[in-house]
Amino acid sequence: MALRLWKKAVVLTLRSKRRFTVFTLMYTGLLIWSSFSLDLTPTLGDIGITSFFIAMGISMFLSLLYAWIITNYRRREIATLKCIGWTNKNCQAIIIGEILFTTISGFLIVIEILFHIVAFLGYFYSVYDQDFAASGLPLISLSSVFVTFLLFILVQLIGIFLGTRRVLKVRPIIALKKVGT
Amino acid sequence: MVDMDVMIKAEELNKEYRREGAIIRALVDINLEIKEGKFIIIQGPTGCGKSTLLNVISGLDLPDSGKVILDGENISRSTEDRLARIRRRKIGFVFQDFNLINNLTAIENIESTLWPTVLRNKEIENRSISALRDVDLLERKDHFPAQMSGGEKQRVAIARAIVHRPRVILADEPTGNLDPDSETMIMNLLKKINKDYDTTMIIVSHRDLSKYGDTLIKMDKGRIVSVK
Repeated sequence: MALRLWKKAVVLTLRSKRRFTVFTLMYTGLLIWSSFSLDLTPTLGDIGITSFFIAMGISMFLSLLYAWIITNYRRREIATLKCIGWTNKNCQAIIIGEILFTTISGFLIVIEILFHIVAFLGYFYSVYDQDFAASGLPLISLSSVFVTFLLFILVQLIGIFLGTRRVLKVRPIIALKKVGT
Repeated sequence: MVDMDVMIKAEELNKEYRREGAIIRALVDINLEIKEGKFIIIQGPTGCGKSTLLNVISGLDLPDSGKVILDGENISRSTEDRLARIRRRKIGFVFQDFNLINNLTAIENIESTLWPTVLRNKEIENRSISALRDVDLLERKDHFPAQMSGGEKQRVAIARAIVHRPRVILADEPTGNLDPDSETMIMNLLKKINKDYDTTMIIVSHRDLSKYGDTLIKMDKGRIVSVK
């Protein structure tokens, strides 16, 4: 049942195209920023660490904002679902699914971008018979992206937990109010 | 004579609201007994308390005093999640504004009632198709609410209300946003469901829909003024 609700959350996310695109791009940017900060920490020291934590803080703020937007935008829909027998947990599952799916999409885009950059540079260097590994280019390592992603998910969960508490406050009776009242 | 069980029993229901400092008595000493399979119309002017009564007997709102027994269960002091589960098993809702989810197709809107259940996906799909067939809208199953007329949206909403085979359907002004032709069609459809499935129907309306009902309950100023 929970799996089914999560699948439906993915469907609903993909159909909310504008919101999904905006948040996915923001998560993509944040993942690149924080992975890059993590990779540069040995070189930059405190600046890298500070930059990393700022990105994590923004990520948590974004997940709170996302949960808040969904709950507000879908307030009447959540109330209707409660009227037809959905519990608070069922409604929360949809919102959690939506935010996590967006985060994972951001992560996949980052991986995709990294592969393309590496493929492009690898090809470029091979053409000119250069050692790509020895180039010293500030590329983001895959391990940094994975570590960042896991920390992202952890931070997201805290944000989601706080954000979806608003679902509990949506009373099913709202669904019976006339539109515009 | 057929022995009919009591589906909903309301005892000494009272409900007050505070609005801009004034106390509004929405329900005053309401006693009501609705038998299984009946088609009930609750009628009265705006603000007479009919919607409040519907909210209280469905567990969407709690009375200040008194109790509501739905199909043998006292629902007046239940937790929100327990009430949700009772609604999932026993109640279907039809709203004036249809309340369909815009990002879901007609069939998905109907299925949404069954998503939080343990039923298998195939069973959910079969039941939803059957409900769509009942409202004669199978050809529109993949359409989104924005692609449908008001009457069609309300038929989808009715299919959503019957898909889990509830014991009672509650409709708040179900024809309030419809033209006269659609009103006739929707009321005939509700009547058919009432007959075919022996589902208890409670329709709240400020319009005169008395010709469709077995019983007409008239309300005014929070009180039941007549039962015919």
